[in-house]
Amino acid sequence: MEITETTEGSKTVAVLDGRLDTATAAQTEAALLGLLGKGGVIADLANVRYVSSAGLRVLLKAAKQAKTAGASFSVVGLQPPVREVFEISGFDKIIPAFATRAEAAAA
Amino acid sequence: MGDAKQLAQPGFQRRLPATLESVAQLMDALEAYAEEAEIDMRVAARLNLVAEEVAANVAMHAAGATWFSLAVTPGAQALDLVIEDDGPEYDPLARGEVDTEAAIEDRDVGGLGVHLVRKLTRDARYERAGGINRLSCSLPLAG
Repeated sequence: MEITETTEGSKTVAVLDGRLDTATAAQTEAALLGLLGKGGVIADLANVRYVSSAGLRVLLKAAKQAKTAGASFSVVGLQPPVREVFEISGFDKIIPAFATRAEAAAA
Repeated sequence: MGDAKQLAQPGFQRRLPATLESVAQLMDALEAYAEEAEIDMRVAARLNLVAEEVAANVAMHAAGATWFSLAVTPGAQALDLVIEDDGPEYDPLARGEVDTEAAIEDRDVGGLGVHLVRKLTRDARYERAGGINRLSCSLPLAG
């Protein structure tokens, strides 16, 4: 998993590239939780073609930490297989998803 | 080989040590297989997911398991999957349903893997025979 950091408006964007699964969960979790320490985070998943339950757990932890800290956490660029996993696990109802970084930053 | 016609689409079979490195190896091998067998991208993603959920569960939680295996047999309507391991008796399907309507504070991080397997496959069944856990299911090729 390659994770690049950039900004959109006042929020940090974590651009993820690779599979978000058992092998990459710990690394991704550390990166996202670290960025959340600085404020709102947008996770850009446009280059993530696969998320397993290990990956969902990372996103859930990030969303929970954001809620506790009063910061925002959202995702953008969900690919069809990733969107499907979000929907069947009910994550579409608990993690805000946007089409673009600009929309996520404005929310 | 009289069966050549039925075997137009190749199958997949791997038996690997029950470690997390093997799970990543299995994912790479499955991606290559899906490409070779020209499996639809959405179905390939589901295949990867089901394989990872079960294999990672064995690699992380089945103390005493030395290997897990995955066999994929393509049929007309579905891919038939058989996932086995030599760990202690464990029926992943015995787990309760996940509440996907719960609020974020109440969402638990456990049980999601088997929830995904249940939702993405048909006819999931577990059996224990000869010291082996066997999970069989089929993954529809359409829809």
